[in-house]
Amino acid sequence: MLSRIAESFFWIGRYIERSEATARLLAEHHQLLVEDRTVPEEVACAVLLDSLSLPSLRVEDAASLVGAVIGSTTDASTIVGATSAARENARSVRDQLSGEVFEALNATHIALSRGMVYAASPGVALHRVQERLLTVNGIIEWTMSRDEGYLFLTLGRSLERIDMTARLLGVRHDQLWSEGGPVATLRAAGALSAFLRMRHPLDGDEVRRFLSLDPAFPRSLRACAEQAERSVRGLERMGSSDGGDLLREVGMLRSQLEYVVDPSAADVDALCARAQVAAVRASDCAARGFFHQAGTIVWSH
Amino acid sequence: MAPDSVEPINGAETAGQRLEGSPGGMAVSATAPTPAEAPAVGPYDEMYDSDNTPRATHSRLLRALDRIGPEGILERGRLRDAYLDQQGITFTLSGRERPLPLDLVPRIIPADEWSQVEAGVKQRIRALEAFLADLYGPQEVLADGIVPRRLILTSTHYHRAAYGVDPPNGVRLHVAGIDLIRDEAGRFCVLEDNLRNPSGVSYVLENRRALAHVLPEVFIGHRVRSVEEYPERLLEALQAATPRGVDEPVVVVLTPGVHNSAHYEHAFLARRMGVELVEGRDLYCRDGFLWMRTTSGPQRIHVVYRRIDDDFLDPLPFRFDSVLGIPGILNSARAGHVTIANAVGNGVADDKAVYPHVPDLIDYYLGETPILPNVETYDLQDPDQRSFVLDRMDRMVLKPSDASGGSGLLIGTKASVEELEATRERVLEDPRGWIAQPVVTFSTAPTAVDDGQLGPRHVDLRPFAVNDGNDIFVLPGGLTRVALPEGSLVVNSSQGGGSKDTWVLEDEDASVGRATGRPVRRVRRTPSSGISRAHAPRPHDDRQRQQEGQQQQAQEPRGPRC
Repeated sequence: MLSRIAESFFWIGRYIERSEATARLLAEHHQLLVEDRTVPEEVACAVLLDSLSLPSLRVEDAASLVGAVIGSTTDASTIVGATSAARENARSVRDQLSGEVFEALNATHIALSRGMVYAASPGVALHRVQERLLTVNGIIEWTMSRDEGYLFLTLGRSLERIDMTARLLGVRHDQLWSEGGPVATLRAAGALSAFLRMRHPLDGDEVRRFLSLDPAFPRSLRACAEQAERSVRGLERMGSSDGGDLLREVGMLRSQLEYVVDPSAADVDALCARAQVAAVRASDCAARGFFHQAGTIVWSH
Repeated sequence: MAPDSVEPINGAETAGQRLEGSPGGMAVSATAPTPAEAPAVGPYDEMYDSDNTPRATHSRLLRALDRIGPEGILERGRLRDAYLDQQGITFTLSGRERPLPLDLVPRIIPADEWSQVEAGVKQRIRALEAFLADLYGPQEVLADGIVPRRLILTSTHYHRAAYGVDPPNGVRLHVAGIDLIRDEAGRFCVLEDNLRNPSGVSYVLENRRALAHVLPEVFIGHRVRSVEEYPERLLEALQAATPRGVDEPVVVVLTPGVHNSAHYEHAFLARRMGVELVEGRDLYCRDGFLWMRTTSGPQRIHVVYRRIDDDFLDPLPFRFDSVLGIPGILNSARAGHVTIANAVGNGVADDKAVYPHVPDLIDYYLGETPILPNVETYDLQDPDQRSFVLDRMDRMVLKPSDASGGSGLLIGTKASVEELEATRERVLEDPRGWIAQPVVTFSTAPTAVDDGQLGPRHVDLRPFAVNDGNDIFVLPGGLTRVALPEGSLVVNSSQGGGSKDTWVLEDEDASVGRATGRPVRRVRRTPSSGISRAHAPRPHDDRQRQQEGQQQQAQEPRGPRC
């Protein structure tokens, strides 16, 4: 597979995941901010923007927070920006994608950029964004062959999911809102029902432990690391290897998350930070080992 | 509206005029029935005081609604309907699933009024717990003549089968819902007690979420007390009721099945507590223990939060034709191997004919004066009171004493001559089966009506209380039900009632350390990880983009190549 194509698949996976996870996090954060006003609004806004690495200038209330995180095409860390970046990458590999995937992604991009998901209330609009992105993911799952392209996409998705879960846990809803916080963190990860069925006590530490170490929930750091490792091994079986750096990176992370013994709350936080760093390193390994970006060569005389 | 209902609410006309002049153009006008035997004062309006000035607690809300305007309200109404439909937040009425109508205007209860309600509800539940323990035990209350023995023995909900079943932590009222109204003076009074299977708490949580989802603006400037902790508190109370000697109790929610009108709520509670939702056929009793059929074999159950009526719970002592129940469960409970919550036989304490005696019970068991008064009620077994009521049936509400949910209710002011006559005969036939109350004009609260305007509609309040044996937790707020048709006094969801998100405001003084509220939180900012975002390298730099574009332009005029 062409390096350029592989790279696009990788980033399609990352950006769709980023957009969707950001929309869910924003929706829940906004809901809490509205319902429970014990936290000063500007603080609640700054905390979220900080965790998403977005600038917090001139964002002081719930409405401007929503505007800033929904964002625009110029910043691919925002919802609109990430969706548009995913679509740009899809456009350059359009021949390799199923028609349905491109169509759904393109429709999402158009709907977002033309304000078609607009609703009088941000919660409703964000819900529509999530629905569309989940549809894209669903179509990817049932129309794409499990070939190299798919594996690069799932690798990108898993690494982004590690990053987003770590950012979500970094918001510390439980410290901000003692009553609704833990539930909001779980909802932002789509994990409320899964968590409650495990009969853990509903407090912040348990929630972070679950979202970091649970073996069965697909958005836990551990499950994402396992998925990333599976993707890398799959690529190896198909003959694509970077020489082992990438596998070492994701495999080490997976084993740390899998075999940690009786971690304290502080251990969980440390593992979470470690996972985020490992995701960055893995992404770099992939870029070095597979994507070989040449840059634009310009001859000058 | 009844023909005699001509009294306007306090100054409704002037309020209407003033509001019509406001930017949102919201008009308020309504009439309400005249209360029987009472001076013609209107109902207490929760938004406007008697001088038609918005109460201080409501001014922010009013401004926010005004900014949104009737058009905006209608639009949000459509978003709300779509949301509730999609979430499947429904109840089943005559076999059809429908969303519980949620009014977009929240109901506000200030902190000081709430602390009265909370204290009153706790007091009432403590007295009713003592009463039930007494009735199914020594029966001193009957020996002392506080409640007539005949009243208890004739109650359809007094179950001899429950006699001597001793709950492990002494709790029979694990969950109670006390229906309150506000009288003309604005005082909260108890209308009835729900001590068997009070339902509606799931809507309290869902209403909050739905309102914040579709109408976040109204929350601005209000510090509303959270309702999120209810499922946890309920689970803790159920676990606290576990049979003696069990360390890790297995709790289940028992539902009659998906066709029950409150099935949504049963599923909600099971999901939010993280426990199994079971039906009767999933369970069986053997050797005095209760078991659940699972893929890994039988699993013992210790606490059953059942949302199934006594009559259907156990076909051995009760209805033998019940297919919903578990044969032998009551014996397991008697043997102390399983706890049934709420306890069997609670219905005797919320029998409407027992209700008039509750203030006496509070005095008898607690030595206290009731914090929340009862509504005036006539005992139809007493010949004098009966003839008094039958003489003015058109100004009375008559209720079957063993029914719940507003079924069989007769509102004298609205009834036809034939209906009055038929009920009169039924009362004479069975005076024990009925009670009568004067028509109470309960309070009105602003409600969004068909055209997006606000109008006053009658509301009640059902606070939910959870008793874990040490403490009684009253969920801040509870379910406000609203009679949506203009002038209607019936709030039951089975009869055209809707609901409102109910806000208990934090005590304004909470920041200086009053016990009722939480202080403004000092937030410790967690430093961010400092990891910057990864981004795809730009697929095309500017020069390449430009050149790609030129290629295209250069090719276009050429037309198709052969």
